[in-house]
Amino acid sequence: MTVHTPIETRSGSLPPWAIGLTVFVFLVGGVYLASNLAGENPAFAIPGASASAPVASGGGEADPAVGEAAVAEAQCAACHGPDLGGGGNFPSLLGVEEGPVSENLQDLAAEYPDEWIAIWIDGTTPETEGLERGGMPLFGEELAPEQIDAIVAYLKTLP
Amino acid sequence: MMANPKKSRPYDEPPKRRRSLIPSGPDTAATGFFVAAALWLAVATAIGALAIGLRLIGLEFSFPLGVFDLSFTFDVRRVDYAFVNATVYGWLSNAGFAAVAFMTPRLLGRRLAMEAGLNGALAIWNLALLGGIASLYVFDLGPHAPLTAFPWLIDGGLATGALLVTGAFFATAATTLRTGYVSLWFAGVALLSLLGLLSLNAGLGLLDFFFGLDELPIALASIFIERAVSVLWLLGMAYATLHYVVPRGSGQPLAWAGIGMLSFVTWLVLAPLAGLSSLADASVPYVITSLGIVATMLLLVPAALTVVNLVQTMQGRWTLVFRAGTAAFAVVSLAFLFGASLLEAIRALRAVDLFVGGTDWERGAFMWAAYGTFTFAAFALAEHALPRILRRTWGGGFLSGAQLWLAFGGAALAGLALMGGGMAEGSLVGQGTAPDAVGEGLLVYRAIAFLGFGMVALAGLALLVNLFLMYTSGERADYAVPGQSATAAAGH
Repeated sequence: MTVHTPIETRSGSLPPWAIGLTVFVFLVGGVYLASNLAGENPAFAIPGASASAPVASGGGEADPAVGEAAVAEAQCAACHGPDLGGGGNFPSLLGVEEGPVSENLQDLAAEYPDEWIAIWIDGTTPETEGLERGGMPLFGEELAPEQIDAIVAYLKTLP
Repeated sequence: MMANPKKSRPYDEPPKRRRSLIPSGPDTAATGFFVAAALWLAVATAIGALAIGLRLIGLEFSFPLGVFDLSFTFDVRRVDYAFVNATVYGWLSNAGFAAVAFMTPRLLGRRLAMEAGLNGALAIWNLALLGGIASLYVFDLGPHAPLTAFPWLIDGGLATGALLVTGAFFATAATTLRTGYVSLWFAGVALLSLLGLLSLNAGLGLLDFFFGLDELPIALASIFIERAVSVLWLLGMAYATLHYVVPRGSGQPLAWAGIGMLSFVTWLVLAPLAGLSSLADASVPYVITSLGIVATMLLLVPAALTVVNLVQTMQGRWTLVFRAGTAAFAVVSLAFLFGASLLEAIRALRAVDLFVGGTDWERGAFMWAAYGTFTFAAFALAEHALPRILRRTWGGGFLSGAQLWLAFGGAALAGLALMGGGMAEGSLVGQGTAPDAVGEGLLVYRAIAFLGFGMVALAGLALLVNLFLMYTSGERADYAVPGQSATAAAGH
């Protein structure tokens, strides 16, 4: 017996179906890549930074046009209506600069008159603890503070 | 009559053999790495159960150590990080090094070069890892991902260990690698990748220590390195091991050498790109992350090719699957390989990532990859290799069966529970549920995952007991030793 016992192979060739399958799947991947060339990544959530993450400031210098795109991405219209004028149990987002229409947000708005919209949309900070959200998602877990700022800036442009 | 000791001359005595401080006998490194891996498996699963348990009961504390204003801090994030490191660098990497030390000489028919160097690597790697895991509870974790959270000095120690193993591998295999078996190709690239990634991590840590880099680049580099360690090092070694153990375990030739090489080439092209999908930040061009996503999805190709090739290799020997042994462990690993690759491909889609990203789903997918694919590949090799390196006849029997079913049941259960919990978490968060209510909604899923982890921990214990009994109770057998003339007909 020799110490070296190489692993034998039944066939040294490459079956045509394996080549065909590989080429086909790579082509599908290429098509997917070609359809995903343009776009923008969200801001990266740095591990362990949630406790001290910068919270959206409430609009400020943000670009309303960016905010309009972010409103579409966040699918706000799905609940607040196509024109964001409200629907069913979901309040209107028109004229939010004047103050909240929901009772449970009055205290928040009184305490943070400039930032309450951003804080409410974010939803992950201690200021919103205990507030009934009524189905409003925690957008702070999905959107960057800059995006939330842009949304606020856009909402403030609505009549 | 008594002999006068003063009259005995040096040449009357047998020559004294000097024993080296570092062992260098054949298979000593493989044995050491296997034992270290088994110990780390028990430690890692215990920490994993603790990590899940902490989510159920919620416990955090901190107390000062009394030196340099340092304090010992115990919280979920640190236990999570310790679990991932103990699993990847402790259990799976030691098992990977053991696979290299066992397979290389047997595939090439020559002794492993630098056996003493490998034993040195065993000590350096495991001491550095122990220090690294202890450091997780003392130093600030910063923006790092789990596998990059050690201080740079520790990363340097790990890189040194990887350098020694890589050096030993190439010193043994370099001249014949071109005509070598596909397992050697996978192992060579996997080792080089691990060395490169650990060196990159240590270098970044050094730069950060002296120049204070921004958090974002560190976080992005960290998550890229973590992903690359998984798809290049762990997955590469799983492919190397499976291509070795299935033909050996079934006693049949590999079905198609060409498909083996095609699997290798597709993996080699796609795996380095897959890490790019992690770089999802506004500062990174969209096309780069899209390329990473496509590469992650296409990694299903080498997985599928390997499954087909090795299943075909098993043809005619399926009865082996029904008793706990090398073939059974390998087949379970193949099933998890395909399942985990499919899950990764689905998870790579942006819409899915938005839904389950950052939830327990990620931990469940990690569970399937680490404790499904990689662990069962390592179990298969251990089942095949341990009798040969300990030179014992050993069937395993009940303990091997316990290992198989406990690990299979535990990994499948914990993975499914965590992934189910992740989907529930994504759904609850999407509905705007308060964090406390989300936590309550996940209690059942986490309790089931805790049970699954407990089962995997018992499987680890079974491996340790099996190893101990094999060494103490197994009858001696003359398995061939690479590099020495064989005295018995026991094969490889």
